[in-house]
Amino acid sequence: MFRSGLTCPGCGSSNIVDDDLYAQAQLVCTDCGSVVSEGTLADEPVGGSVVSYSRSTAVTKKPCMNLIKGVQRLKALCRILRVNSEIEDQSEKYYKDAYQHESFINVTLQKKEVLAGCCLLVSCRLRNWPITMGTISCLLDADFNVVGATYKEMVKILNIKAPIVNVTDVMEAHSQEYKISSYPEELAETSKDLTKRALALVELAAESWIVTGRRPVPIMMAAVYLGWQSLNPNQHRLRMSLEKFCQLAQVKKCRAAMTRIAEMKEMLCKLGKELPWIRGAVTPDNVIPQVDDILQNRYALLRRAMRAHEDTLQAECQTSSADPQTEQTAPSQITEHVAQTPNTSSVEQSEPNPDRAEPPADKEANLQTAPEQSDVQGSPDPAPNWGKRVLFAPPCVVHPKKRRAPQPELQDVTGDEEISDSEIDSYLRTPREVRDFVLTQKMLSEEGKS
Amino acid sequence: MQLSSFTWNLLEILQILDQVDQVRCGVMDESALERYFDDSIANDSAFILGEELGLQSSAPPLDGPASSVQNSSFLSTKSERSGELGDELDLSFLPDDLSTQEEPGQDDTGADSQTSILDVSQDSGVGLNFTSQDSTAEPQQEASISGLRTGASPFCPMTPMTPMTPMTPVTERSGIIPQLQNIVSTVNLGCPLDLKFIALQARNAEYNPKRFAAVIMRIREPRTTALIFSSGKMVCTGAKSEEQSRLAARKYARVVQKLGFPARFLDFKIQNMVASCDVCFPIRLEGLVLTHQQFSSYEPELFPGLIYRMVKPRIVLLIFVSGKVVLTGAKERAEIYEAFENIYPILKGFRKQ
Repeated sequence: MFRSGLTCPGCGSSNIVDDDLYAQAQLVCTDCGSVVSEGTLADEPVGGSVVSYSRSTAVTKKPCMNLIKGVQRLKALCRILRVNSEIEDQSEKYYKDAYQHESFINVTLQKKEVLAGCCLLVSCRLRNWPITMGTISCLLDADFNVVGATYKEMVKILNIKAPIVNVTDVMEAHSQEYKISSYPEELAETSKDLTKRALALVELAAESWIVTGRRPVPIMMAAVYLGWQSLNPNQHRLRMSLEKFCQLAQVKKCRAAMTRIAEMKEMLCKLGKELPWIRGAVTPDNVIPQVDDILQNRYALLRRAMRAHEDTLQAECQTSSADPQTEQTAPSQITEHVAQTPNTSSVEQSEPNPDRAEPPADKEANLQTAPEQSDVQGSPDPAPNWGKRVLFAPPCVVHPKKRRAPQPELQDVTGDEEISDSEIDSYLRTPREVRDFVLTQKMLSEEGKS
Repeated sequence: MQLSSFTWNLLEILQILDQVDQVRCGVMDESALERYFDDSIANDSAFILGEELGLQSSAPPLDGPASSVQNSSFLSTKSERSGELGDELDLSFLPDDLSTQEEPGQDDTGADSQTSILDVSQDSGVGLNFTSQDSTAEPQQEASISGLRTGASPFCPMTPMTPMTPMTPVTERSGIIPQLQNIVSTVNLGCPLDLKFIALQARNAEYNPKRFAAVIMRIREPRTTALIFSSGKMVCTGAKSEEQSRLAARKYARVVQKLGFPARFLDFKIQNMVASCDVCFPIRLEGLVLTHQQFSSYEPELFPGLIYRMVKPRIVLLIFVSGKVVLTGAKERAEIYEAFENIYPILKGFRKQ
């Protein structure tokens, strides 16, 4: 490269070139070969050159090793779950985007791995490939809460709107985990049968408010267990506890499944009662053999159960109107129940209930006055529990947590009242108290030291 | 040219009113009046609509003279107004031929009796507001229009009360009032504080500098907790109303004062209000998150409730399957009430499904 403006001191020519062949840059005259000026080794400013290392040596910035490893881990997860290439590509893209963000660039390597799992999770959701967070946390062997927190943060940063995962979608994948196909006849079930039965149970549970708001895995476990029992309700199966069943199927039991089982059995009893050929009471103990029939005729049974419930409420209303002593909330009961009617089953909508549909609108006012009425009655339960009056209600309504009694409200506080001195003094220690306190502290600290 | 047709139609309106007066005085034949109305409405409806739109878009001060109209001074004021209107407004959207009068009456108007015409006139103010593009009824406008005539209205369509834009019924409130559960407020006591001294001298204080750099003080009435920082700033939580929060903050300030610090009460501000209520019916959260995806976040694996981030007002609602709703993020009580009134119809919509 020719350097203009320079002349060789030896021969006066201006053909000076940069000679970078050697370690030291030199300006050399091409005509006579003399070195015009030598390189900058000695001339570098003290403390290193002005250009920093990272900006001068690298031609292109090398990609972060951790990012590369993270992408590899992500790809490994994709292989394990056997997702398609679209999901893999999208999750990789999300991971790279999120990785660079300030909230994730400096976190621990473990959290970065969790981040990879979350990116995969959100891509699966977007592409209709349902997996639960529990699956991801299992795969990553990470704390479920950490996965949850990371997921929420990532979704907020990347501004993704992912649809929720329905229990019915993940049911099949879950039930395939249960390895009970290779047992003797009385215990074995094929995965397909089990899935189908469990799916039907889950749908029924969803209609009776057992599923909404709850974690999916305990529900699925309960559905699989009850489904397995009902597919062949022999003594062996009926007597096997959930614990034993999980051991049999080589699946880790979760405690919440026990309550789900109880709730589902209760729901099945309510429906089983309506079976026309049943003699005697249907209890949670003897409902399992009927599950097959219940599931086959579930819509009809739902309708019958609703109607029977309405009739009992009507009867109660009649007796209560004859006897004014009893609870006056009966009219609102019917209102509430009727309002409940369209909720429980989509099939119910097809049923013509025009006369029932209108009253709720104008009787709603009654519902609000009901609490006052029952208060006046002096009933033991001051807030009427609408959950007890309908056929199906979310369990948290039917069995409400006992709340601390509400404190007597301060009424008509203006905020500018006079504050009495005596009240403030009650919050201050007397000098004697202070002395005692200091002495005690000193004594305790001395004791601690010695 | 357009202005002249405007005034020409004014004269027509006046004629109609005269005739209405005559009918009311028993002078004119009822059926003749009906026929007259039929004709004028058929022709004037387009213009009337335009006039109403013009009136709505005109500045409110113009309504001033009109609202006082009740009688014969009507013409002068109306033409004044119309003159002003004409100067400001572009009436080009009006149809060109407003002069046709000979169209036969419409079917629906023939059957109406005069009483129904007069009845409609009582509502005419409201009805006319419906026909305008602005759906919120402006009382000024209403007053001006009902002031325009005391008799029947030839302006409104004959079918009684057929609004063109549906008005949100004011009466359909939920009837449920969210109860405030917690108020968080801050105040500046205006002087640096010695936290160790406060913790020593006050009975109701706890101070653990290794855990948290503030004194935690509690009072019994109103039942609240305060975090008092060495800079003199204080956070007061746990009150059930704005006034209670203020009273509590003042009590804390008084305690600090009594301990010998020159505490003041500066910049008291409510930072957050939390309220809860119960709609008393179960809610399908899965359905709600499907239809309101841009506002809702529902992760049953993480939290049983649906988190609904309302944009206006900017409130976060936690909606549970039991029907209980928690509202938080408000700086004022009205925001909570507004947010609940916004969410209640949405939730009710899910109930009937």
